[in-house]
Amino acid sequence: MAAAIRRRSVAYFLLFPGAFWLIVFFVIPLYFMAKLSLDTEIPGTLHYHFTWHWDNYKEALELYDTQFVRSFIYAGIATFLCLVIAYPLAYVIAFKAGRWRNLMLFAVVAPFFTTYLVRTLAWKTILADESPVTEFLHAIGLAPNSHILYTAVAVIAGITYNFLPFMVLPLYASLERIDVRVLEASKDLYASASSTFWKVTLPLSLPGVVAGTLLTFIPAVGDYINAEFLGGANNRMIGNVIQSLYLTQSNYSSAAALSFVLMAVIMVVVFVYIRFAGSEALMGQEAV
Amino acid sequence: MRTTGKPGRSAALKLAVALAALAATVVLAACGSGIEGPVEATAAKVELEKKASGELVISNWPLYIDKKTVPNFEKATGISVAYHEDINSNEEFFNKMQPLLSSGESGGRSIFVLADYMVAKMMKLGYVQELDKSALPEVEANLSKSLRHPPFDPERSYTVPWQSGMTGLIVNKEKAPNVHSICDLFNPKYKGKVDFLNEVRETVPLVMKCEGVNTEKATEADWLKAIEKIGEAASSGQISRFTGNDYAQDLTNGNAIAVMGWSGDAVQLQIDNPNLEWRMPTEGCMLWSEDMVIPIGAPNPTAAEAFMNYVYKPEVQANITEYVNYVSPVEGVQEILVKREPALGKNHLIFPSASFTKNCSPTPTLEGKEEKNVIKAFDEVLNG
Amino acid sequence: MSATPATATPGRGSLSAETGVARAWRWLREHAVNIVAVLVVVYLLIPIVVIFVFSFNNPAGRYNFTWVGFTLSHWSHPFSNTELTNALLMSLKLALLATVISTIIGTMMALALVRHSFFGRRVTNFLIVIPMATPEVVMGASLLSFFLILGTPALGFETLLIAHVMFCISFVVVVVRSRLIGFDRSLEEAAKDLGADAFTTFRLVTFPLILPGIFGGAMLAFALSIDDFVISNFNAGSTVTFPLYIFGAAQRGIPVEVYVVAMILFFGTVLAMGFATLQQRRAERMTAIRPEQEESDIALPGIA
Repeated sequence: MAAAIRRRSVAYFLLFPGAFWLIVFFVIPLYFMAKLSLDTEIPGTLHYHFTWHWDNYKEALELYDTQFVRSFIYAGIATFLCLVIAYPLAYVIAFKAGRWRNLMLFAVVAPFFTTYLVRTLAWKTILADESPVTEFLHAIGLAPNSHILYTAVAVIAGITYNFLPFMVLPLYASLERIDVRVLEASKDLYASASSTFWKVTLPLSLPGVVAGTLLTFIPAVGDYINAEFLGGANNRMIGNVIQSLYLTQSNYSSAAALSFVLMAVIMVVVFVYIRFAGSEALMGQEAV
Repeated sequence: MRTTGKPGRSAALKLAVALAALAATVVLAACGSGIEGPVEATAAKVELEKKASGELVISNWPLYIDKKTVPNFEKATGISVAYHEDINSNEEFFNKMQPLLSSGESGGRSIFVLADYMVAKMMKLGYVQELDKSALPEVEANLSKSLRHPPFDPERSYTVPWQSGMTGLIVNKEKAPNVHSICDLFNPKYKGKVDFLNEVRETVPLVMKCEGVNTEKATEADWLKAIEKIGEAASSGQISRFTGNDYAQDLTNGNAIAVMGWSGDAVQLQIDNPNLEWRMPTEGCMLWSEDMVIPIGAPNPTAAEAFMNYVYKPEVQANITEYVNYVSPVEGVQEILVKREPALGKNHLIFPSASFTKNCSPTPTLEGKEEKNVIKAFDEVLNG
Repeated sequence: MSATPATATPGRGSLSAETGVARAWRWLREHAVNIVAVLVVVYLLIPIVVIFVFSFNNPAGRYNFTWVGFTLSHWSHPFSNTELTNALLMSLKLALLATVISTIIGTMMALALVRHSFFGRRVTNFLIVIPMATPEVVMGASLLSFFLILGTPALGFETLLIAHVMFCISFVVVVVRSRLIGFDRSLEEAAKDLGADAFTTFRLVTFPLILPGIFGGAMLAFALSIDDFVISNFNAGSTVTFPLYIFGAAQRGIPVEVYVVAMILFFGTVLAMGFATLQQRRAERMTAIRPEQEESDIALPGIA
């Protein structure tokens, strides 16, 4: 019994620093942000006092509903594109790459090794109005007005690019776990290639799809670098708004309110999604 | 995996209590300081030491000084200078510094360079020290007449101008030969190829000028009407985006062919690409300046004043002007540059004559509720 | 997206032209997935190639956005820009410290979660997952609110370190935990049977075996920290890290050295990863534990 108690105190000892850090610097700040979102500024002083000012939420949402909706649309489209692009790649790496497998996996993570801002700026060069890529797309009729940069297309393309590895890796991990014999069995039973895919491969890779979708969608909604560098006046996302309210306008209450709503909406979306798609992907095998 | 037993529970309880106590401490510590704390007002005046020495930390905008001035100053005075190019936006820099300034500190910096309106705001909040003019004889002697009595600091007791400039049009004369006025930027011919500045105090007055409003007498309604016009142009795709200095990239890359821009940038851009050209809008331009100030709590204000004084020597200022190409606030620079670099010395963007700027107006100050409403409306446009 | 048919039917000799088309068509169909995959790989690598190429650019003015001419001068003096070099050093210092701290406390947490049963386990799991499911902008904003309300006198290196450790912990826990789960406990029991005490067992058996996992977690933490812009932007005060420098410089024109430094970081990471993979393989060969374990496990820090 004494040993059991000691073991437990060892557990709490091991747990303490991490839990302490996460509680003090993640949970408590959320409480402070909640408090700030209900504050009112004492006019002209940059000082705030607590007032249960729920109107902060109403005003912020009325002003910035467009950016809110836009963020979810952009992130949704980008996540879908990521899935469509990533699946064939993950499939090939898992089943067909052979000795190329490690090299292809390296190509998938390679973008992570270049600074996020620098690779986004590289897209700015690639998509510029007079760049060869834009001119080529214009020539084959894919870029009307030869104008891609500073449009929604550029922002969504940037997000898709930047979060693609987050989609490929979990997809690969779940595809790789599939027993090839199951696929062979399906073939032996005279299933066509496409029905093998739709009825066997895809369902078995679903955990990867769920994890990849979440890992892509969540950061994409809050992202503002792509909108900042690749977007124009009509493509600002909610992250840009929160950033500018906090850092350039010192309108802390509205910014805090928007951040809170953003977090809440994402939680709801994720929760609903997990209800439909299963929870193990997000929480890890042994949790919940 | 989970086992619940008395010992575990009590340990968990202890942990919970410890964390709760910690949380309570944090929350208690929150009272009395920070942005929810009471408002403190401070005022200070520079107290000079006998001789300037030691270390001096300066915050300025990027590419806003030549390479020689700082080392020469160090050599001449024995002061060692840490020169940071860490200001990219008036508001952002102010917000980063504000928590420090409100507790009477300057983050080790002794000179900030910020726009007139931001300096005025800092003065009102008591974040700026009053200068001791006895250490600024060169400023006294050489400060340009037109900059001596600005409304926000009538006797220049707190501020010394760093550089001035004009806000007008920069166009690609091959692709947008017919853009001569701010109104022309709204011509659908240039749809998606136009950048506006993200500075409310420059962009909106320029558009008001296009609307025929006298910017110095503009009412809140005039401001809001101009902002509405800008907003419509932005959502229709006429305006490609709102920029700071990065319009320069758009001009060089062909992403934009006509923009609102700053005179110094235009001189630089022209050197690289002769197709780019500054145009004085037919409606007139905006005139602005950025000022050096000594924030409260600044270490070594004596050295700071020595630096301010030093850059007001015409021969020193000539080097800076030669590099940054903005309008110099120091008299006597043109005479030096005409001899040394005639092309610059005679450039009317660097040394504008009174007739060249006859329709230009100073950047207006906004105050109180009007400021709040205007900025809110403009920000809504910026964030599309 | 079809699986490859096992055999190809022989062509009909008489209609040779049609067969050519048909054969090409079939070849395309069979290899469609592969072709798409290769295209995606190319897409992934394009910006890296662009960065590499533009690190040799010789722009006349301040803007490294259009190709002007080839020069080696930026590669021979990558650290001539002092503002940039200081920012890079700041980032490296910050990332190293954040990595050490988050790896230590993250590993401790992972050990507690896998090895011990205790009350509050679900809450702890939740506490670890939630930061990963929170958009960076919200994390940055809430920490800034915290510091603002507390009246933290100076935002700067300390607040950055706090923030970076905070967002790294969860990822370290997840990586190390996945390594611990696939751990053969019988080895520890063997050590105990041979008379080793708990600490000796940990030092001589457990620790060396989970070391590759810890290393993987540390690498991920380092990568996250050195690349972070959003959270840093909120909490840096006037401290400038490498990404913050780039963001500021993007206003006035990115110096070519930024591209050079980005490539140096790229190659550095590639080397570190190669090293980590080798280490892991060696560890696996030496212990011969779970030979079926994929060596790519550690090579994929991003999987989190």
